Amino acid sequence: MSGVRVGKRVIGAQAPVIVGWENIPKVQGGPAKQFFFTWFQPTMLFALIAFWFYAPNSIAKASTAIGIGIGFKMLLLGLEWLAPRHDSWRLTWKELTTDLFYVGLGYTVLRMIDGYIGDGAMIEAIQHSFDWEKFAWFTGLPLLVQALMISLVFDFGQYWMHRGMHNWHPLWLAHAPHHYITQLNINKGAVGNPVELFLIGLGVGGFFDFVPRAALLAGSFGLAVGTYQHINVRFNSPRWWRFLFNTTEHHSVHHSQDYEASRSNYSNTWVIIDRVFGTCVDGEAELLGMEGGRPMSVRETMTYTFTEGWKSIKERFGRRPSGNMASAPMVPAE
Amino acid sequence: MTGAASTAGQATGFDATTPRAALGYSVYRRFVDGIWHVEGSLPLAPGQSVDDTFERLDPLFLETGTTHERTGDTLSFQKEGQAAQDKMAVFDRGTLRVEHGTTGLVLRYRLASRALLFCFLAPLLFLAFAQATIVLGKFEKARTEAKGKKPEVKKPPVVLNPIDKALGAPEPDPPKKKSKKDEDDKKPSPTPGYVFAGIFAALYAVGRVLEDRRIRRLFRKRLLGI
Repeated sequence: MSGVRVGKRVIGAQAPVIVGWENIPKVQGGPAKQFFFTWFQPTMLFALIAFWFYAPNSIAKASTAIGIGIGFKMLLLGLEWLAPRHDSWRLTWKELTTDLFYVGLGYTVLRMIDGYIGDGAMIEAIQHSFDWEKFAWFTGLPLLVQALMISLVFDFGQYWMHRGMHNWHPLWLAHAPHHYITQLNINKGAVGNPVELFLIGLGVGGFFDFVPRAALLAGSFGLAVGTYQHINVRFNSPRWWRFLFNTTEHHSVHHSQDYEASRSNYSNTWVIIDRVFGTCVDGEAELLGMEGGRPMSVRETMTYTFTEGWKSIKERFGRRPSGNMASAPMVPAE
Repeated sequence: MTGAASTAGQATGFDATTPRAALGYSVYRRFVDGIWHVEGSLPLAPGQSVDDTFERLDPLFLETGTTHERTGDTLSFQKEGQAAQDKMAVFDRGTLRVEHGTTGLVLRYRLASRALLFCFLAPLLFLAFAQATIVLGKFEKARTEAKGKKPEVKKPPVVLNPIDKALGAPEPDPPKKKSKKDEDDKKPSPTPGYVFAGIFAALYAVGRVLEDRRIRRLFRKRLLGI
């Protein structure tokens, strides 16, 4: 496998990766199907933005956003079932159950822990010792500008956290279990070690005082763009969409079994951040995972970060047999 | 009782030879063991031999992470790290045996699934999380009361930007004093725990029936081509 040179890197030398938008297959089928899968993404995004912009205050609440989020994901699960991108990514009962287990952890025990040590708790702790009215100018900005800023600032933080995870071994140990997924489905974003889910949720958004409606608008980008990172549906995303936003194609490259390809497309929503920092690779991959596609069990996912962390600490600080330095296997963070 | 049942009985140290014990065993097998075991039988086509049967089923046991062993009319298999798209991914081990039935040869199978057991137990875990949230909530309430009320961070009233006004966005509500209801809304709620307990109970019910039917359909397709 020779791979394709993208900048200074060779992508697809270890595992198949399609590089370049012009080489990515289009939605197959009749004109109605093509129309639907071409316009679905922008229509949903603009519909959500319009909804949150004009909804009365009694409706524009977090509980409505949760309801819409659940409904939207159910709709996308239906699309996965009706029009899968790859048969090799089909959602089975076992996969759905496992994915929902991680989603459930996020809504329950992780939320509980996050209340004590998450970004919200940290920000609240220092908010009382600073004059945060200095940030009040933010609430005077147009709603859509506020929403864009919230989304971009949060995604910028996520980009660097994610990039850090692929470049610094301790953070990689938290992130690695997520890279053992072998297919992309709606709830696969939740699959991972709880330490990673905690780290990736950290943000500085809480420092800004914003109109609640702006936060709901910003959430529209997360829901109607970020969700497509993990989905088994093919869309004919418009050119402007794939230039600005992260897509299934981008994220499949990030999850591919190819080492170099996995070190690209770090952003969550705005792939333009990757373009700015030179880490964007336009393309797609079907063969995903680590160690040749070895699936990781729930138990290993839960313990990997700690067991591998302990091994790494012992390797680094423990007594080494003299004259016998065993070479560590190459992992993406090294 | 099938041979597989006798083996399972021996494995658990259960003597199912007396009628009463046999009844107890069948209840155990149906309602306890049946939680994570799927069993069934499939009449084979007339003239289909034992060798032919296992030859047709063989590709199912050549998947990644699967080991199998055949002795005479019995095939046992084990799976570890099975791929997501393995048609038998939900099962971790099992036994298939060709026996003489009333009208001819019959394939009997008994398969174990840790995924089904995990899904069966998951509601208990989420109920525990819900209870932990309630306990923590009480603990937090006591702690907050002991500490006294925090001074509220004063926020200036929010004024909608003229562009938003022109576009017709609703004016934000004026800032109001935090009510007890607002405080309660911020507290961790046990509801997600209850919801996920319900989701996993439903998933188990669906999975137990679905996977039973799916494996039967898979074997029938392999053996009889229908």
